[in-house]
Amino acid sequence: MVTLGAPRASGRAPESGTRIRTSRGHRVFQVFNAVILTGVVVVTLYPFVNIVAQSFSSESAITAGHVNVVPHGFNLTTYKKVMSDSAFWTNYRNTVLYTVVATGISMVLTTCYAYVLSKRHLKGRKVLIAIALFTMFFNGGLIPNYVLVADLGLRNSIWAIVLPNAVSVFNLLVMKAFFESLPDELEEAAAVDGLNTYGILGRIVLPLSKAVLATMVLFYAVSFWNSWFSAFLYMDRSNLFPVTVYLRNLIAGATGGADQGTASDTALQIGANIQAVTIVLTVVPILTVYPFIQRYFVSGVMLGAVKG
Amino acid sequence: MNQLSRRGFLSATAAGAAGVALAGCDSGSDSPKASSKVTSANRTGAMDKFGVGDQFKATVPLSFSVMLLSNANYPYKADWLFWSELTKRTNVTLQPTVIPGSDYNQKRSVMVSAGNAPTLIPKTYHPDEEAYIAGGAILPVSDYLDLMPHFKDKIAKWNLQGDLDQLREADGKFYLLPGLHQDVWKDYSLAIRTDILKQLNLEVPQTWDDLTNVLREMKKAYPDKYPFSDRWSTPPQPGANNLLAILGEAHGVWAGWNYQHANWDATAGKFVYTAGTDQYKQMLQYLNTLVSEKLLDPESFTQSDDQARQKFAEGKSFVISTNAQELVNHYRKDIAKISGATVVKIPTPTGPIGAAKTGSRLENGMMISSKAKDGKDFVALMQFVDWLWYSDEGLLFAKWGVEGTTYNGKVDDGTFKLASDVTWAGINPSGSKNLQVDYGFSNGVFAYGGSTKLLNSQFPPEELTFQEAMNARKTLPLPPPAPLSSEDREQATLWQTSLKDFVNQQTLKFILGQRPLSQWDAYLSELKGHNSEQYVSLVNKAYQDFKKNHG
Repeated sequence: MVTLGAPRASGRAPESGTRIRTSRGHRVFQVFNAVILTGVVVVTLYPFVNIVAQSFSSESAITAGHVNVVPHGFNLTTYKKVMSDSAFWTNYRNTVLYTVVATGISMVLTTCYAYVLSKRHLKGRKVLIAIALFTMFFNGGLIPNYVLVADLGLRNSIWAIVLPNAVSVFNLLVMKAFFESLPDELEEAAAVDGLNTYGILGRIVLPLSKAVLATMVLFYAVSFWNSWFSAFLYMDRSNLFPVTVYLRNLIAGATGGADQGTASDTALQIGANIQAVTIVLTVVPILTVYPFIQRYFVSGVMLGAVKG
Repeated sequence: MNQLSRRGFLSATAAGAAGVALAGCDSGSDSPKASSKVTSANRTGAMDKFGVGDQFKATVPLSFSVMLLSNANYPYKADWLFWSELTKRTNVTLQPTVIPGSDYNQKRSVMVSAGNAPTLIPKTYHPDEEAYIAGGAILPVSDYLDLMPHFKDKIAKWNLQGDLDQLREADGKFYLLPGLHQDVWKDYSLAIRTDILKQLNLEVPQTWDDLTNVLREMKKAYPDKYPFSDRWSTPPQPGANNLLAILGEAHGVWAGWNYQHANWDATAGKFVYTAGTDQYKQMLQYLNTLVSEKLLDPESFTQSDDQARQKFAEGKSFVISTNAQELVNHYRKDIAKISGATVVKIPTPTGPIGAAKTGSRLENGMMISSKAKDGKDFVALMQFVDWLWYSDEGLLFAKWGVEGTTYNGKVDDGTFKLASDVTWAGINPSGSKNLQVDYGFSNGVFAYGGSTKLLNSQFPPEELTFQEAMNARKTLPLPPPAPLSSEDREQATLWQTSLKDFVNQQTLKFILGQRPLSQWDAYLSELKGHNSEQYVSLVNKAYQDFKKNHG
């Protein structure tokens, strides 16, 4: 694994007895590390590889249980069926739109709220935090929420999806904690140099917060990408559904109540790997975004920012 | 009909399950004053004279909102011929709220509870509608049957009053307009290896005793095999649920996945506890014999469907439970590798009650929002519903579409044929257009129920033979209604839960010989210890009350 490099150098200098012992201990530790972490990789990666393999396999191979990591009886029927449907693409477009808009709104609201809360001298700060926390533990319930959204006239519009879930309290608290960890001196220095509050936030704090911003974007985007319930609840027309609702219905149709009459081979094939295909199709886009965001997950942007 | 999933099938055949809804009475207590509640202010667009055989056409263009279950196999499309043709014929435009079938019930609950439901709420399985009655959100449709000539006509003509009574609540009304079948539709039975029968010079078994003999001969020829290994043992218990269900039916008791706690004893004129009856004992005795002679695989009651299918596929067993679909989609393909092997679905063997069948002839149905009652077009709405769901023309239209476009010929004289370019459920497999996907017909929301002839028009010849054999059997009346009040229902549910566990466990023990049937009397007193008598008297009281108040 990646971590093997550095300690091996220290092991190569076996001068004193104690150092050899630590080095051996270290090696044992490294071996264990490697074995366990490889195990973890296998355990986490195998199900996914298996799903990908299934999505390309034939019905008979899947029901017989022959599929492990390599597709058996290569077959694209289900992919073709799903991707040739124009409704699939309409709904996919909706998902992208909802995710982008919702993530944008959520980021703006959460950042503003969290930045304000991170200022200890703010009057009424505790009340504001309490208001946010309250929603973590109590909510109106399904039907009151539905009535609210319906009476606000939000049904059948993107706002029904992006507004009610705009601020996640968990993300808010994470962000608040991050902002609190920024040294006050930085902002004071910026203020002395003539920046107002918005300037400080926009030109000092946010550029230093890329790590947390990237994390938040990922959290929000993934949750909006995967969400289906609010769309299912508030959208009454199928051209407004996100792709998750579409695929959920497809799975239910393929695996649930069987149609009376003779199912075609195509239907059997679809029934066999629709779930795998679904998972691949919905996971791949968000998976491809990940590497681009990951480089921001480095701590240490702050090192050396404060002198003295 | 093609929407009739196994769950649907079960809830239909086991209508009134758990005694909750053993509703019904033998007279139509539907208020004759109903239409007097309807005033001229409700008659916009309605036809002045609308009777059986009349084509409904609104006098002014109308539009009604409807909840539409979007089936994944034929997702909703706005340009279906169904919509345009419907408007052309009836002057009514339906405005659908499209709901993915995967979570239809949940959204229905939210919308009805929030007071936001469309006017028409189809695809509701009894007793789901009971949840909404107290809130007053849905219309007691039984009050307005005078506006529905076709519905009343079919109830009378097909003698469905008893079935309909099963839907009645303690107030004597019903809140769901069910789909109506002319006859009980049976699909589940046994599949049997006909090449083995031929090889051993055996006939297809007609009765359960015949089946025993056939199994004995098979055992003689193949001593190392269990000739019968069954499936459908996943919960709900006790296992081999289809075998128990059809065997129970032949004995006149509810069993397997049809199990109901209260069994109607017509001679005594009261309900008795099902698993304590002599018929139930007789049924257990029969199975116990099969198991003890090693004719029936004891694993039948516990193994997974795949295991049972595997045994049949490998020729380790020759008899297995089936329905039309399993036979064609699985068993035939499975045994293809055994040379000369053939399998058919046999008409269910008959037992002590003779050539008869039981079951409900009602399908899932439609609720109507109570708000509709105050609408200007209420009468037209009811006439429209009556035409589309209950008139012969409406049923034919919803199922098969437009003559000359999607089909040709007539259903009644057997000349019916789908148009050659139209495919549906295995008919015309090479057709370029799908009846459901491209035209919107045979949609489970609109097309279900109807005459036996209409139903039979969809079957391939083999299944038709089975259906004809089953149709030739007498249909026994359903038990009378005994709807429990909501408090009683809670108490009954508590008793049912412990009774069910006990009965399942003991049923299995008796069958497998772990408990000898000589202990039957001891078992009966243990049943009483689980409150079977209190339960039955609760149901009998409900029956008496209903008879007194609404009979």
